[in-house]
Amino acid sequence: MRLEVEITSKTFRSAAGEQHDVLAGIAFALEAGEVGVFVGPSGCGKSTMLRIIAGLDPDYRGHVSRPAGARIGMVFQEPRLLPWRSVENNVRLAAPQADEARLSDLFAILELDAHRNHFPGELSLGLARRVALARAFAIEPDFLILDEPLASLDDALAAHLRDQIALLVDRRCVTTLLVTHDIDEAVRLGDRLFLLSPRPTRIRAELPIRTQRRSRGEAEIAAIKADIARRISGDRTAPDA
Amino acid sequence: MPRLLSFAVFVATWWIASLLAGDAKLPPPPAVLAAAITEARSGALFLNLGVTLARVALAFTLAMTLGAAIGYMMGRARLANRLGDPWLILLLNLPALVVIVLAYIWAGLTEVAAIAAIAINKLPNAVVTLREGTRALDAALDEMATVFAWSRWKTFRHVILPQLAPYIAAAARSGLSLVWKIVLVAELLGRPNGVGFEIGVAFQLFDIPLLLAYSLSFTAIVLVIESLLVQPFEARASRWRPRAA
Repeated sequence: MRLEVEITSKTFRSAAGEQHDVLAGIAFALEAGEVGVFVGPSGCGKSTMLRIIAGLDPDYRGHVSRPAGARIGMVFQEPRLLPWRSVENNVRLAAPQADEARLSDLFAILELDAHRNHFPGELSLGLARRVALARAFAIEPDFLILDEPLASLDDALAAHLRDQIALLVDRRCVTTLLVTHDIDEAVRLGDRLFLLSPRPTRIRAELPIRTQRRSRGEAEIAAIKADIARRISGDRTAPDA
Repeated sequence: MPRLLSFAVFVATWWIASLLAGDAKLPPPPAVLAAAITEARSGALFLNLGVTLARVALAFTLAMTLGAAIGYMMGRARLANRLGDPWLILLLNLPALVVIVLAYIWAGLTEVAAIAAIAINKLPNAVVTLREGTRALDAALDEMATVFAWSRWKTFRHVILPQLAPYIAAAARSGLSLVWKIVLVAELLGRPNGVGFEIGVAFQLFDIPLLLAYSLSFTAIVLVIESLLVQPFEARASRWRPRAA
């Protein structure tokens, strides 16, 4: 399913009454099955953008078009699990139509088998993140929205989870939006990269990656990363030059 | 075991106090027990306890249901809170006696008047507690339920209700004791039966063993309700919490 987004402006009013422009020009489209990755400095309004696209915030100028009735799976920056339901029930509640085979498959891929009956309060952050991923994938979403799902995890675990996300996304061919500040993660997961400016945020570059996710070599990844780094620092030094 | 010990301490203190104060003012435990047994033999004890218990149950259910609904609405909608707040403050500060007397004057010395008066006394207490609980609801979980397109009922059942459970238990606990204190006044003033009525009779006859027999029997029942219903409910509702000391 195709996703079209055009946000012309989004402003916030702070408690002191001052007006802040958060988003200034976000326009893009994702084809069915594409993974779009947004890279930007922290605090640039990425989460605000995702909330608008997910339909949680109607107070903006512009429009978001996704087919009616599209199922959305979302992984928030914090896991947002129900603390009073077990890991298994957290997933089952979100996806009542999922059968046992699919759930065991998911739990196996995300290595959650041993934790099915634990409560979220008994899990580490890394594990809770995986449960949130399991919940999002269990509903077989048409759109998947991932808000820094790997932030504040150690490198080895983040790399491992990243591969698991790639595996799940490829299997279902699901249209995905991922927000991150990690360029390596962006290049390894994305089909189409969007570089964001600091506030008020606009898209300052769109970089499609032609090679399939699985067949990207380390050399190619390094080249794309270098390109992104050049663009970011180039923009930063431009006003001084 | 610790419970048994604290019960023994209670009985011992009572006995010693009765020795110091004299039988006329504070009869010893066996005298009160004897009075209770006499009342139980005649059947009056169970009849009166049953009648009072039924009034407590009705008024308590009424006040909790209405109070929880109103409190939830006031916690969610600012307009409801603005409209309801003056009423709430009025009811919170209205003496129980005034409500009971007015109810009897307006609706006659009837069962409906008694139960309504008791419920109105308990209502604001439940409203305030549930309003606080609703204000403390986690908006992040609401958003999760919205994104995953959960139905209203599903969100209420799995997201809202578990967060309100401790507040419901707190309101139930304080409500039960409040209702039981007020029901006696209502019975004393305008009912021909129940623990309150019997205590009124005992007061007029200065029959202190009878007075204590009725009050302690009812306290025992409240204790049983608390430990068999309220506490297990609380334990079940909070079993996901990392255990506190």
